Amino acid sequence: MAELEFFDDFITEVTEILESLDQDLVELESRADDLDLLNKIFRAAHTIKGTSSFMGFTRMMTITHKMEDILNILRSGKAKVTPGVMDVILEAVDVVKSIVDHLKETQEEPDIDISGIVGKLEKVYQELRIGEDMASSASELKIEEKTQGEDIVIGGEKPLSREELEAFEREIEELFKAELEKEKVKTVSEKDKDEAKKQDDKKAKENTIRVDISRLDNLMNLVGELVLGRNRLLRIVQQLYQKYDQDELVQQLVETMDQVDFITTDLQFAVMKTRMVPIGRVFSRFPRVVRDVARELRKEVRLVIEGEDTELDRSIVDEINDPLVHLVRNAIDHGIEYPEEREILGKLREGLLRLKAYHEGNHIVIVVEDDGRGIDVEKVKRKAIERGIISPEEAKRMTENDALNLIFLPGFSTAEKVSSVSGRGVGMDVVRVCVEKLNGTIEVRSEKGKGTQIIMKIPLTLAIIQSLLVQVDEEIYAIPLVSVVEAVRLNEENIKTVENKEVIVLRDTVLPLVRLRNIFDVPGEPKVKNMYVVVIAIGEKRFGLVVDRLIGQEEVVIKSLGPYLGSVEGIAGATIMGDGRVTLILDVAGIVNMLTYSY
Amino acid sequence: MKILVVDDSPTMRRIIVNVLNRIGYKDVIEAENGLDALHKLKVNPDVSLILTDWNMPEMDGLTFVETVRSSPVFKSIPIIMVTTIGAKEEIIKALKAGVNNYIVKPFTPDILREKIEKTLAQIKK
Repeated sequence: MAELEFFDDFITEVTEILESLDQDLVELESRADDLDLLNKIFRAAHTIKGTSSFMGFTRMMTITHKMEDILNILRSGKAKVTPGVMDVILEAVDVVKSIVDHLKETQEEPDIDISGIVGKLEKVYQELRIGEDMASSASELKIEEKTQGEDIVIGGEKPLSREELEAFEREIEELFKAELEKEKVKTVSEKDKDEAKKQDDKKAKENTIRVDISRLDNLMNLVGELVLGRNRLLRIVQQLYQKYDQDELVQQLVETMDQVDFITTDLQFAVMKTRMVPIGRVFSRFPRVVRDVARELRKEVRLVIEGEDTELDRSIVDEINDPLVHLVRNAIDHGIEYPEEREILGKLREGLLRLKAYHEGNHIVIVVEDDGRGIDVEKVKRKAIERGIISPEEAKRMTENDALNLIFLPGFSTAEKVSSVSGRGVGMDVVRVCVEKLNGTIEVRSEKGKGTQIIMKIPLTLAIIQSLLVQVDEEIYAIPLVSVVEAVRLNEENIKTVENKEVIVLRDTVLPLVRLRNIFDVPGEPKVKNMYVVVIAIGEKRFGLVVDRLIGQEEVVIKSLGPYLGSVEGIAGATIMGDGRVTLILDVAGIVNMLTYSY
Repeated sequence: MKILVVDDSPTMRRIIVNVLNRIGYKDVIEAENGLDALHKLKVNPDVSLILTDWNMPEMDGLTFVETVRSSPVFKSIPIIMVTTIGAKEEIIKALKAGVNNYIVKPFTPDILREKIEKTLAQIKK
């Protein structure tokens, strides 16, 4: 590879261009006459062509070059954008994207055959050219005609006469001289001002810098360590204070510690902020996804995006795309009805799909909402019984909400026919797993005939979480606070057994119990009095985790268990406590999975 | 003698090239904007005259002229700015930026030839 030096810049630029290109192209379909938009798209193709040729990526250059030819005709106004043309251009963009993906990994162009897409682009170009040729051959003809009279004119109808031209040139000459004079007498102060202004401009340009994500990761890690150290220090200072609360030095230490504590928290947020990117980066791909899926399924869909400025951690942005794509496909496939059907139902032909994001405390909430047919609860129950997921009795007892959330169970799909869109082996359970991996929760709300809402709640960062510390015998565990609903005290006699499972009745609902002691085989005798049940909610599923003692709430920094242990079922990671002890952090979603299999 | 024609409109380029050919300049290369022109210059260091448009995407004519004039390798290539009769301010700016001459649209092949010859003669001096 010839130009390794510019490779990173090249990839960054091309990725940025491709991201906005998708959106612009889809927009172009509805605003075919928007010359500014066309010019922007043309320049995008043009830029990629130029840079990829400079970098020596010939496949990419060839494709974008052909695209540019087509776009050039379109922007000259000699041909119109049609869905057919658009399909080919979008396909070409996809090929370029796949090349870029390959480049990112290997720094080499993939060894793929691009003759297919190039052929398609050329065909479109030829078709469009038929229109253009007629126009341009006409202008050439004009030149020919006029040459015979030795009187051809470039760039207009009537050329200036000699006199007019000379007059104009004299005028320009004078203006130019005057301008130069002005320049000479320009006071020094003005020059200074100019200089200052230039400096300001320069500063504005330099206000943003690109930073390698690994550096930010490193920074985040360091802050994590700092938070741990701070927690430890806080603990020690507290103990010192209890011992020597009259000592003036200790009092000063407490004060200073408070400041350091405060600054550390600030720093943590500041570092977190540097890693935040607007979710618009993900959302911006969706006009294209929606268009493609809708076209494929013969549906009419209007996409509304809200809250694209909402920020979240960059590492989460990367993880959220796939589940979102799946949800959006699902909504169009299963949710939104065919246009004819909608007309009969008295709805607009065009289905509404809304992608929404907003902040709620330390979480980002992402909602995918459609105004389609909604989920048929009875159908969901029937399917679940067929698949053996629940028994008919269970189905009868189930609340509507519980039944709706059956769709998140593995191996569940209500699609009556398998289309190419859904039915690709991933269901809502995969989406749920993705979200839960991010310590998030997902729930569904639906009203038959009115539409469906899928609501995901995801913490803003993965590195630092609020947790509830609990104790079983001598061991301390941290439970992510997101999943904790409440904690209640109980005695052995409160526990009842239903179908061989331990449960308690909590405010008229039956809550299944799980003993943390049993999950991790903690040695020692179980307590019989004054135990605690931590009520855990994951999605709509609730269960009670039985522990010996509650210790309290603490901010913990998640550290992976390291390659030696790898991933341990039910454990999300570990953290170092204020007193220096290592504590395991529970993976609540993992525990739920363990239960589903063991019971 | 090699001439570089910079214009974002393919039709306009075709016409200018056509005219240049007819008045005896056969060796003509084209660029569709300032940036493209810079690339073309890099691979064609033997260009001895540039005809450039003003309004272009990517890099407009003025920026292009300024860039060429600040390049140690290419700064002395004569440049003629193609512009329109109304654009007096543009012309002043172009002259300040260092174009050797300008030609206002609409123009005839005769004028173009005159401008080119005049410009080349000035350079020789």
